[in-house]
Amino acid sequence: MLGAEHLLLLFSTVAIPPVACTVLLCIILATFGKSLGLRQIYVDTLICIFEWGARQIKTTEKIKRKESTIYAQPSSFFIGDHISTDSVESDCENVESDADSGEDLPSVEFDLNDESFMKRKFGSTTSLASIGSVCSIRSRKMSESSTLGIIKRETQIHLDDDLDDEIPDEVFVKSRGWAAIRDSVDFVKAGLEAIIEDEVTSRFEAEQLMSWNMLTRTSIQFYQFVNWKLSALWIIGFIFRYCIMLPLRFTIFIIGLVFLVSSTALIGLVPSGSLKKKLNYSCMLICYRILSRSLTAVVYFHDEQYKATSKGICVANHTSPIDALILSVDNVYALIGQKHQGLLGVIQRALSRASSHIWFERSEAKDRLVVAQKLKEHCTDPDKLPILIFPEGTCINNTSVMMFKKGSFEIGATIYPIAMKYDSRFGDAFWNSSEQSWFGYIMRMMTSWAIICNVWYLPPMTREPNEDAVDFANRVKKTIANKGGLVDLEWDGGLKRAKVPPKMIAKQQERYANRLNRYTSLSDNLRQDEDGDEVIDDKPVSGYNSLEDLPEDVCIDEEDEDDTFQDDTPIDETIRKLSVNEDVRNPITAASSSA
Amino acid sequence: MGNSSTLMLRDEEIEEIMSETEFNRNQIVRLYSRFLSLDKKGQGYLARDDFLNVPELAVNPLGDRIVDAFFTLANDNEEQQLNFRQFVKILAHFQPISRSKRNVLNSRKDKLLFAFKMYDLNKNDYITREEFKVILNSMVGANITSDQLDKIADRTIEEADADRDGKISFDEFCRAMEKTDIEEKMSIRFLN
Repeated sequence: MLGAEHLLLLFSTVAIPPVACTVLLCIILATFGKSLGLRQIYVDTLICIFEWGARQIKTTEKIKRKESTIYAQPSSFFIGDHISTDSVESDCENVESDADSGEDLPSVEFDLNDESFMKRKFGSTTSLASIGSVCSIRSRKMSESSTLGIIKRETQIHLDDDLDDEIPDEVFVKSRGWAAIRDSVDFVKAGLEAIIEDEVTSRFEAEQLMSWNMLTRTSIQFYQFVNWKLSALWIIGFIFRYCIMLPLRFTIFIIGLVFLVSSTALIGLVPSGSLKKKLNYSCMLICYRILSRSLTAVVYFHDEQYKATSKGICVANHTSPIDALILSVDNVYALIGQKHQGLLGVIQRALSRASSHIWFERSEAKDRLVVAQKLKEHCTDPDKLPILIFPEGTCINNTSVMMFKKGSFEIGATIYPIAMKYDSRFGDAFWNSSEQSWFGYIMRMMTSWAIICNVWYLPPMTREPNEDAVDFANRVKKTIANKGGLVDLEWDGGLKRAKVPPKMIAKQQERYANRLNRYTSLSDNLRQDEDGDEVIDDKPVSGYNSLEDLPEDVCIDEEDEDDTFQDDTPIDETIRKLSVNEDVRNPITAASSSA
Repeated sequence: MGNSSTLMLRDEEIEEIMSETEFNRNQIVRLYSRFLSLDKKGQGYLARDDFLNVPELAVNPLGDRIVDAFFTLANDNEEQQLNFRQFVKILAHFQPISRSKRNVLNSRKDKLLFAFKMYDLNKNDYITREEFKVILNSMVGANITSDQLDKIADRTIEEADADRDGKISFDEFCRAMEKTDIEEKMSIRFLN
């Protein structure tokens, strides 16, 4: 009992001073917005280690495969996809693996934190280093394509309204029924491709990485045992993250929170005016800087000349609850969101004391008008801070931007788009809210290596006079996607939880119906005309079996077609027009329809 | 490392699937990870809803029918669940047709069979006029009149119905689709 107490005392005297120093240093630096560049060094070191790990995995895989192809029966030689590819590639791989296995022995005393050792290891033999770099470039290319997916998608269902490029010109078919059956095959293909790989569900899962980053979540391919060196590295990394980083970060986090709550309480006492605004501005920056350090957030801001200064709406793509924190490191925003309970609620109430934010009750969220009204009031008041909105309304895994809800674009305020892209190699910032609690999420962030984020401020945008809110939202979304290197998707992020609304299916049906109507099936028309007659002819009346067999002069010339497109005549009429054209040109049909 | 190692496929299983289908190891592993992510409840098999949770499939006017054909082909015994083996086997029907012809699953006939099963609602190996109307209706919704629908259905059946029994058998179906490039239209380009 006494021994234990003694040990504890000893431990605390040894452990507390360095911890306290680090924490103090962090907070002082955060207060003045300075950085010693330590985080940068830390990140660079990590990149080196990850690259080494990736090479280890590749080498081991190659050796395993080689063994299996040697021992397997000859037929498998043709199955192995990698064997038949260019020989240069495998040569390069062989050299690397040989050289690496030659290096196995001295690396016994390898140490994770010894960066110079890494350099020595890869810098010592120049040939090895150069080969390694060549291979890593190639492997990066290869794994990029592999992260792209399982299949190459060829058929897809489109959501947008651009019908013109979709629908083929009038096509003459034997009968619409069989044309529909043939088209149904396209639907089948689209459906099956969606089963194998789709645009939406994958956006709500952690992004798959090409190389293992010693964290568990981001790649399911790397769970299996590779070799003991990597395992050792992982264990050291684990100890480092949980026993050193986590306590430090947690301490800083708590201090940040306390600072936030107490400073806002004090500012709340100051009468409103420019002094309060100024105080709030600097206090918030300090708070957020401290909090961001608790996650080892390294944020790179680009194009700061476009930073929002006064009233206006800042819209950004949404990945996680810490988005707001990351952005607030550089600028102070008013926030909008649902009222929360617990820790988040405490923070929300604290923030509201110092400046005005919009928090609404869950019940009010349905009442869009109330929220829009509040938003409008906020935006027209020049004294208020720019408001930060995530119009996607849900967290997406930072590979794409999904549909922007139109609410914030209806108001007519100036929009300041912000693109955010996290570097998921060091820790995935995406919050899968359906699987993880908020606290669990923060814990995971604190045990990750680091949070790296690039933030681009984009030139302010305003709604064009003839543009509706949806189009404007799409335009803003597109700019953000382009800047952040994200995929621009039409899909609603709300599908994360909800089922596809029947309206969307109805729209697809309408689109197909339009297409079906364009199939100007001569025989169908004629049958309608001749309902009373007893002419039953299995062959199409035109006498031609398929489109290819039609003589050239049957096809409509382009001028007519353009006309019909321009004056937007209803489809039935178009068909009639076309069949009139037919009558003139094709003697058989002309004769039969006049009969 | 980590408890997820149980999620990995065993080597023997991969070998077996490789011999059944034309997929290579990499493709199988990737398909398996897709299978796992579709299986949200972690049951080890897929149910109809797991498929229809994919929004892109759910907006497909034939999405429901496709899933149905998927299940019909995979197991005739009406069991509404699909394991990975069955999942891959169905997908193998959609591999492009290659010269080496080792695969027995992806012939033109196999591909057509999938489409046929999709139309054959009551699974009696015939497509009737009513069945066709149901499918066409789900493709176009309320956008054409029932009169038009009837006419189109009549003609469609009539045209392919060689033995004049008012319904279309699989053979008749194949003959009617003769001119269609099924090899191209029903092949999915799997990456290596």
